[in-house]
Parts: sequence; structure tokens; C-alpha cells
Amino acid sequence: MNRLAARGLTLSYGNRVVCRDLTLDLPDGAVTAVIGPNGCGKSTLLKALGRVLTPTSGQVLLDGRPAASYKTKEAARVVAMLPQTPVVPEQITVRDLVGRGRFPYHSLLRQWSPDDDEAVQSAMERAGVADLATRPVAELSGGQRQRVWLAMVVAQRTPVLLLDEPTTYLDVAHQYEVLDLCRDLRDLGITVVAVLHDLNQAARYADHLVVMNSGDVIAQGAPGDVLSADLVQEVFELASTVIPDPETGTPMVVPRARATARSVSGRSDAPSAATPAASPSTR
Amino acid sequence: MSAVDGLSTRRVGMTGRVVLHVSPRAVVVGAVTLALLVVLGILTLTMGKLGIPPGGLWTAISGHADGKEKFVFEELRGPRLSVAVGAGAALGVSGLLFQSGTRNPLASPDVVGMTAGAGAGAVVASLWIPLLPLGIGAFAGAAVAAALVYLSTGSGFAVPSRIILAGVGVSAMATAFIQYVVMVKDQDESLSLAGYLAGTLSARTWGQAQFVGLACLVLLPCALALGPRLRLMELGDAMADSLGARAGRTRSLAILIAVALCAAAVSAAGPIAFVALTAPQIARRLVGGPHGAVVVSALTGAVVLVAADLWVQQAGWLGDLPVGILTAAFGGVYLGVLLVKEWKKGSA
Repeated sequence: MNRLAARGLTLSYGNRVVCRDLTLDLPDGAVTAVIGPNGCGKSTLLKALGRVLTPTSGQVLLDGRPAASYKTKEAARVVAMLPQTPVVPEQITVRDLVGRGRFPYHSLLRQWSPDDDEAVQSAMERAGVADLATRPVAELSGGQRQRVWLAMVVAQRTPVLLLDEPTTYLDVAHQYEVLDLCRDLRDLGITVVAVLHDLNQAARYADHLVVMNSGDVIAQGAPGDVLSADLVQEVFELASTVIPDPETGTPMVVPRARATARSVSGRSDAPSAATPAASPSTR
Repeated sequence: MSAVDGLSTRRVGMTGRVVLHVSPRAVVVGAVTLALLVVLGILTLTMGKLGIPPGGLWTAISGHADGKEKFVFEELRGPRLSVAVGAGAALGVSGLLFQSGTRNPLASPDVVGMTAGAGAGAVVASLWIPLLPLGIGAFAGAAVAAALVYLSTGSGFAVPSRIILAGVGVSAMATAFIQYVVMVKDQDESLSLAGYLAGTLSARTWGQAQFVGLACLVLLPCALALGPRLRLMELGDAMADSLGARAGRTRSLAILIAVALCAAAVSAAGPIAFVALTAPQIARRLVGGPHGAVVVSALTGAVVLVAADLWVQQAGWLGDLPVGILTAAFGGVYLGVLLVKEWKKGSA
């Protein structure tokens, strides 16, 4: 039995259905990367797994039990989620923000304990922000701020951690810092599920890859088994060559140069094929 | 809890010692504001021609005074001061709940049309149901306005943008109604209503003081209990949801409590402008962090209203103007300063 699973999930915003009847098991103690083109429903799926979005039908299972049957704080002690755009309150310090992650352990009569202090301190150390503890979060750089948010969800001390595009808006060095942190957390036994945009980062850091397109899971498995030029063409409509990453041996997607893509594919709809091929380079 | 093991149970099983997380700064700020409130209260009772001499103050408060002092304390300034403290505290916390609940620093009970609704209720009471006290009419009007907003959003108080849209609509209708009535009714009645509609503290009764006091006694602890969830609302709805604070429900509860507090204040003192907007902003700046905001907002609201009322009582040239006019004038200036600051921050 997996800690986190989805059974027959249908997810929608109002009348717009994003995912229909989706079933998925997330491997325990592994890093799972969810990839797919914009609008494929990967963030929506993560929201449902993180109990931010209530499924129209179907269930999210936590330790085999429907998430809806948990009390909200009880569920928040099992699954933590970092959304794409959390809001930084005015004037808040790093330590205070990380401390908010302790809410699921508090009640009306038990609001803060030395135990919380310890959790906050160790989370800040884990995320490398302990020396920023007394700084206002608003003054920090994007990379530092993202690590502070990560410290917050780590302070929540959950066995499952969901991250929605944790590397967006970060420069490249900070992206790898965040991904390394995901690995460290996995090594502590935490199940990490992250929505990622960069296919090569996903292939390098994930133990398990979930590929989504138009609300469905198209493929899943170890990156080496899943990621191929055909899949990238099918899902992202991008002509590419997949070679082994010279550092790690994991699959590395190298997009075809635009002119080559046209002549190689030799399709009659060459202009429209060229459009999706051009879009990754503009991102 | 059996299903939750590993990393989480170790935390859950800890023995529950009662430990409150209070920042030293919030305690200092709270103590200073409280002291300021006491000083302003003493000034309210002792200043001016009718003031109780400071030496006789305790005798008057303990109920042993007689003659003029007894009259001034028990009929004039005592109820007036009590209503000012209660209504100020209620408005301060009401504004805080609106602002944190909707993550909008400019939100206040006015956005759900409460002020205009209270005015419309008071107008109905005074002109068509003469037996009904103004305060009860205002309370009913405020409640009806809030209920209309609640029903017309289609999602209760859960989505801020819809609350504001519906509030503007309800507010406009209520204002149009007040203006219509004031136009068609005779001038004397309209003039006496105008004072109430501005929000006034003159000629208050102990009954009004007890009413707003009771509302504070019941609702302020509710606001305090909601505090930790409200602090998570500041991180965005998704974050609050995933931390187990249920954003939509927390927002609805916060606004319901805020509406009740505001209705109580309005029924005791009329729709006093801008205290609900400014007091929590000042309070948050003073405490400089998330903790103690509820208590300091209550104290700040009381200080602002008691100070404004002291001013209209004692500054002869103001001629015991309705205090709401003074708070509106200063609130307007404060809002302007705030907007300029925001604007500068944006362009920097």
C-alpha cells in the first residue's frame, strides 16, 4: 500500500473538467517528477493530492484511507504542499514564516512548544536558511525565498511532500540547489512529488517519472524507461534527440535545431510543426 | 491516528502543555496602548466644565458620589466613554478580521455595505416604526445588508472579489434609499437623523454600553481563537488549505464575526467611519509581526475612538460635532497618505 495514491479522480474548475477518472500510485520514499505540457493538468493533480482542490469525483488515498475522511490538521501532518505562488506576508521574518509550518500540530490550548522550536531550527538548517532566521522574508532574493518556503514545508514534518514547480523563477544554480534538497529529503525517507518543467532536470533527479497530457497519465516509470524521442514528440510536439546525460547517464533531451526539424520530419504541415518546436527556446 | 506513522506521530504524541506564543514586542505595545486608553478615559471623565474633579473620580466610579458628579458619571460621560471603548474595540477587530480574511489592507466592514445598510435600517426605524430604537434599526439594517451580500455572491464570504462587488452594489442601493427618504421626509426629522448617520457618541445610555460590551465579550474571544488560522490566510488560500486551516471556511467565519462586531458597534454609536479601516493598520504596524494583532487592534480602535470623542467634546469650536465626522476627516487623510506611500513603493 502506498502512502499517497489517487483513485478515479475527476478534477474540474467549475464546469471545465481538467482530469477525468485518473488513477495513480506514487512510490514511497522516492522523488517523483510530474511532467507535461502547459495546461495538461499536472498542477491541478498536485492540488488535489494536496487537498487544496476537492475532487469532483474519485478519491485521494493517504495510507490507504480516503483523504476526505481525515481531519484537516491530521491530513496536514501527512502531506505538505508548496503551491506555485504562495504570498509573503508583510514584515514577517524567516523564523516566523517557517514557524507557520507547525500549525497542524497546534490546538487552541497548545499553541507553541519547545518541540516546535526544534522542528523550525532543524528545518531552517536543512534548507540552508538558518543564518537568515531573523531577516524579513521580503528582503531576500528569489533563491533564498524559495528555500525559506521549502524550510516551512519541511518544518511541517510530513512523510509526503508535494512541490508545484519549485524551480520556477530561480536562476540555474538555485534550481539545482532546490533539486538537491529534494534528494536529501528523499534520503530521509520522505516521499517527494514535484511538478517540473525542465525535462532534463526531471530525468536526472526523479526516481519515478509521471508524464501527463490533456489530463491523462500517458506514461510512468523510471526516467530511463520512459523518456524517449517518440514520447517527447507525442506529448510536447517537440522533435528531439534523446542522449545519455554525460554526468549521470540519465536521458537528456536535446531539441532538434529548427531548420533540421523541418527537413528531417519532412511533413506537409511543416510550418505548424515548426511553431511548437520554436516555443521551448522562447521560454 | 493509526494510519499516520513514521515522521508525524512522534510530534502528535507529545504531552499538551499550554504554551502560548507571544512576542515581547506585542506585550509591550499592548501595555502601552492600554495605559494610553486609561489616561484618555480619565481625561474624558475629568476635563471641561462638567468634568469630575480628579479627586472625586474614584468616589464617582465606585458609585458613592452624589449631585453633579453622580449625574455626570452615571448619565453623561460614563456611558459615553463605555460605548466609545466598546465600539472602538469592536470596530478595530472587525476591520482586522476583514483585512486578514480577504488579504486586502483596505478592506473594512464598509465593503459589505454595512455602514450604508445600518443607515438605511436607522432611517426606516426612525421614520416609519417610531417605537423601534434607532440602534435596533441600525443593527437590523447592517445584518440585512451583510445577508444580501452573503446570498448574492453565490459562494458566501469565501471569494474576496465577489464580496467586494456585491458589497458595492448593496451599499449603493442602501445609500440611494437613505437619500430618497431624507429628501421626502420633513427637514427637522432629517436633520436629527443626519447626526446619527454620521456616527455619534453624545447622549449614550448604559443599555447601549451593555449591548456593545456583551458583543465584545462574546465575539472577541472568537476572534482570538480564529487568530492562528487567520495568520495562515496571509500565505494564500492554497497554503492555508494545505496546512489544514481551510481557507474558505476561515474567511467566512472571520467575516461573520466581523459583521456581528460591526453591527453591535453601529447599533450603539451609529456608523462611525474609518475606525475599522485605520485601527488594525496602525495596530499591525505597531506590533510588527503576526502575534497579538487581535488584542492590539481592539485597544487601538478604542484609543482612536475615545481620543476622537474627547476632542469633539472638549474643543469648543467643534461644538460637540458627531464624532464620526472627525474620524471620517482624519481617516480620509490617513487613507490618502497610505495610498501615496503605496504608490511611491510601487514606482520605486
